[in-house]
Amino acid sequence: MVALVVVLVVVVVLLAVLVAGLLRSHADILKALHDLGVGVGEPSADGDSAHDHTAASGRPVPVPFTVGPQLPPERDSTSAPTIAGVTPDGGALAVAPAGSGGLTLLAFLSTGCSSCAGFWESFHDQAALGLPSAARLVVVTKGPEREIPGEVAALASPGLSVVMSSDAWTDYEVPGSPFFVLVDGTSGRRIGEGVANHFRQVAELVRRAEVDATAFDLGTRGGRDVGLDGPARESANDRELMEAGILPGDPSLYPTSLEDLYGPPDARMPVARHVRRVG
Amino acid sequence: MPGCPWPATCAGSAEVPGLTAHGIEAGLPGGFEGRIFKRASSGLEQSFAVAHFATFGLPDTVGDFGGGAVNLMGPDDVFTTLFEYGPDSLGTKLFARRGMPRQLATSDFQPYVLRRGLVGQSGTQWFFTEAGRPFTLYVVLGSHARRASLVPRANALLAGLTVLPQPAPVPLGASWN
Repeated sequence: MVALVVVLVVVVVLLAVLVAGLLRSHADILKALHDLGVGVGEPSADGDSAHDHTAASGRPVPVPFTVGPQLPPERDSTSAPTIAGVTPDGGALAVAPAGSGGLTLLAFLSTGCSSCAGFWESFHDQAALGLPSAARLVVVTKGPEREIPGEVAALASPGLSVVMSSDAWTDYEVPGSPFFVLVDGTSGRRIGEGVANHFRQVAELVRRAEVDATAFDLGTRGGRDVGLDGPARESANDRELMEAGILPGDPSLYPTSLEDLYGPPDARMPVARHVRRVG
Repeated sequence: MPGCPWPATCAGSAEVPGLTAHGIEAGLPGGFEGRIFKRASSGLEQSFAVAHFATFGLPDTVGDFGGGAVNLMGPDDVFTTLFEYGPDSLGTKLFARRGMPRQLATSDFQPYVLRRGLVGQSGTQWFFTEAGRPFTLYVVLGSHARRASLVPRANALLAGLTVLPQPAPVPLGASWN
């Protein structure tokens, strides 16, 4: 009888220790979730701070969407300053993601890092990246004092926006390459960032942000359906002119007088009927 | 941001870096993006500098006079093109004006000036010669009705633009002393 009581006591004690351990583990998990901004249970005073990006206490607040290893919490991970630098082809480019109105995905890449090679390659077919139409992609390398423009140009696909700026790496506190930052142009804040080794990780970051972006009311700018535009419109114009027998160098493309445009004065009809805007 | 009519502009108004390329310098006001480039030459055609500036995200590919960009403008946006012509245009009547206009007036903007007429927008275009280089300046406002507040933004941009004389072409081939 005594032995049975002793055994029961031991079992109860063991169960109590087990339950206490589980409760402790559960509390640690809740605390970790809360620190990440996705805590459950009773909301605290700053429970929504990760989503409104404000820190009443003044301490840095992590962005809501991250990929890869956790970054030091003391980073300024919400500001999105303008990036300005040179382009690999000798031009200059300034990107203001905080005022762009849509999502801007900044890809901080290098020419030398082996894990960047896959990203450079995948950017050759931007349509296959799966980025939402409201998002634009901008590649940021270090400046020409650290990178060779010719090497950057060799890796960058035509039509890809690439800006070379070491200052941008400092401003965004980039820990290394490859590194991605997602900025919401409507709120003017960084909403995602992190280290990624595969673009599908980045696409997941953007996808999560896009779902959340309904709160940011993307698409408030323009976005008018005006048919063909840009190079496609120019090509269509060229094709139509050539079909009409007007080839490059045709004298009609270089009028020297009003008569060349509208015909003899007597034959002029209301001008608007003769003017056709091209370009 | 209380008291700030342009939150994106005011938020980023400090320490906006400038751009310099192809003999054009641009000190950008806060909230402006910019791109200075030359298109690839084809055949005997020679390309010259083009500069785009916008208060919205510039797409990767934009036509010289805003094709592919002006349709993205919101009513509070400004788009500007600075387009250089070849030296054969120097001295022609079209480019007789000396210097880029720096202070545009609201009366300079008209909807029918647009190269591509989009409802609500208006534009202005100026031909001039500066630093021995012939240019046209083309400015589009996202909303003609809001020109009173948008023109000062365009003027702030123009105040920061500088056209430098083109350096003399470097002769091809090695030179021996």
